[in-house]
This record gives sequence, structure tokens and C-alpha cells, in this order.
Amino acid sequence: MGPLIPNGFLSYEWNIIIAVLIGLAFGFILEASGFSSSRKLAGVFYGYDFAVLKVFFTAALVSVIGLYYMDYLGWINMSMLYVHPTYLWGAIIGGAIMGIGFVAGGFCPGTSICAVAIGKLDAWVYVIGIMIGILIFSEAFPIFEKIYNGYYLGNITLVDSFELPASWIILAVTLLALVAFFVSDIVRKRVKKVFY
Amino acid sequence: MINRNLAKILSKRYIILASLLFVAALGLVLLPSYQKNENVTAEHLLAKVINPERYITSDVLADKLILKDPSILLIDVRVVSEYEKYTLPGAINIPFDSILNPNYEGYLNQDQYDIVLFSNDNFKADQAWLLLNRKDYKNLHVLNGGINGWYHTILNPPKPTEDMPQEAFELYNFRQAAALYFGVGIKTKVKKEATPIPVKKVVPKKAVVPVVKKKKRKPEGGC
Repeated sequence: MGPLIPNGFLSYEWNIIIAVLIGLAFGFILEASGFSSSRKLAGVFYGYDFAVLKVFFTAALVSVIGLYYMDYLGWINMSMLYVHPTYLWGAIIGGAIMGIGFVAGGFCPGTSICAVAIGKLDAWVYVIGIMIGILIFSEAFPIFEKIYNGYYLGNITLVDSFELPASWIILAVTLLALVAFFVSDIVRKRVKKVFY
Repeated sequence: MINRNLAKILSKRYIILASLLFVAALGLVLLPSYQKNENVTAEHLLAKVINPERYITSDVLADKLILKDPSILLIDVRVVSEYEKYTLPGAINIPFDSILNPNYEGYLNQDQYDIVLFSNDNFKADQAWLLLNRKDYKNLHVLNGGINGWYHTILNPPKPTEDMPQEAFELYNFRQAAALYFGVGIKTKVKKEATPIPVKKVVPKKAVVPVVKKKKRKPEGGC
């Protein structure tokens, strides 16, 4: 039956409405769980707070496990879902820059907007920095174009790369996540508490 | 007063939640696998089979070819030797055996051209049509009657008799003109026994179909 819009259960115009509603809920929950604090976010790099790791890993697991159960029951057609294309080096370099920005600024793009909404000045600086970055990237695009469009691997997933059934990969990632949670708890207990 | 039992359970909440995740993931592995009927259901296929748009008549096709309609992509599903003997102008040869060959997917899986499949009669082309529809490819048609039908209607049309309506004569004239266009001059008094008529070998133009990747809108966002 699903996905709802491509299969005609909802008209195309609902796309943007649902996106806005999910966005509102996402922003609200980010703020409610304290993700608009750069200290909390940066904690994952210093070892005093692993909420970011736990929340996003759990969210990914819940959605992937749920989607595959729904696929099994015939409620959604996984082959119709959008898979983001992989541009290998673009993703690696972009990920590294994002990581540096994350640890230096204490926000990721989504949470910085959230923090702007509650009036944090450091978040304003961060968002202006993003804008400057976008400007530089756009102006210097011919230089980056080869990386941006190169090393194209198609719309691949781990299932395609490892040639294993999806369920085994999900189990492996779940175990990886649980180990990461366990280790992060040990690290957190060893690291000096930071009050924030 | 604090409920002690509840507190005992809550103190282990992370263990419980973690094992819940693990059990759910393990459940996916242990579920029995089954062959899914992806995309094309039997009802979906039936609706396409009974749709009259599935067929294109040789007259309509001849008209489009004469007008050099760029949206038509002719696919000859006969074997190579037959294709080399005679085919329709501009047709591409994809033998029936290799219709699912991934090398040809670029020609068949697209939504810019109206694909017309043909073989000697309807039979092979219909089978190819069904297989390709099963793959959920778009804009597929079958030339009604195939090459034989083409020969009997366009290249060697039956002369209408006196008592036929005006349209039959117009159609006959069109077909004669089309036959001339396709390189077969038919005299009005051609004897039926004169078959095989000299089929002028038309060198088929190899149509090149650019494979255009479907552009999807990139979702934006991140964490």
C-alpha cells in the first residue's frame, strides 16, 4: 500500500503539508530534548554526554526495523523508497567538514536553526557561518565540481555493497549500536562531569 | 510512596529497551522469507492487457513513420537473420531471447518514446510486451499483425471492391502511397501470384536512444 503519495492514497500536494508537520515536530522534539544546547551536542566529542549518539542511532534503528517489518507485512514497498545517490569523495570530505563544524561550533545545521529559534547568539553566528560557507561554495563551484559530481556510485545501500540480506545488516548495525551505547556509558562514567 | 517494583523495573530500563531493539532486529532475520510480487499485480496486468492502446495498427504506424514522428521507437524482436533480411525503417533489433538482457534495458526502460514491438505476427511481440510490462516498463505497444500484417496492409493492400464505402478507397490510396514511400512500388494491376514481391532492402537506421537518468528531487536536511 505505501508509500502513500506515489501510490495515490494521498494527493501530491500533501507532500509539503506533511513535510511542514514533520519538520515542526522534529524541531520541537530537538528543542525539548535539549539539542539546542551546543554544550550538550559537543559533549559527544568530549565524552560527557552521549545523547546525540544515542538519539540518532536509536532513531535510525527504529525506523529501519519498523520499515522492514512494514515491508514484510506489505504495508510499504521498500523498492519505491528514495535512496540518496552516493558520491564517494564528496560524502567523505563533506562529512569531515560537517564533523569539524560540529565539534567546533557545537551545532549541526538542524539544531543550529532550532537554537536560533530560542534566541541563542552563538547559533546566529553558526547560521551566518553556514551562509558564508554556502556563498563560498557556490562562487567556487567550478573548482569543486569534479568532487561534487565525481566518484558516483549510484543509489547504493549497504545491502548492495555487502550483498547480504538486509535483515543481517540490520542485526549487525543493531549490535554495533548496542555496543556503542554500552561503551559510551562506560566512557561517560570515567570522564569528569561537566555542568551545563 | 514509591512503588518499589516499578522502581526496580525502571532501574533496568536501558537493558530492557536495548534487548527490545535486539529482539526486533533478530525477528527480521528469523522471519521466513517469501517471494514478493513486486510492483505489477495480476489486476494491474489485466487492466493493461485489455487496454486497446496496447496495439497500434500498421496504418497508424505507417502514418507516423511517414511523418517522421520522433517519439516512435521500433523494436524488432525477431532473430538477427530475419532482421537483416527485412525490417521496418529505423527499427532496432532486440531478439526475443535477449529481451531481458541488461544491455538493452536503456532502450526499453524509458518514458520518452512510444515503443512499438513487432515480430512476424503478434505472437512473439505480445509475449515480449507481457514480459516487459511485468518489469513495469512504460509506453509499450505491439504492432498489430506484425511484419506479416504490415505486408498485407501497407505493402500489398487488398484492392477494395466497388461496393465498399469511400473510406475504404481512401485507405487503399493511402496504403499505396505508403508502400511507395517505403520503397515498394505497387502497380495497380499487380497479380496476387506475383509474391514474393521484390522487397527492397531498406537499410535500417540505427536509432540511438539517449538514456536519460530520471532526476529525482533531492531531499534536503540533516540532523
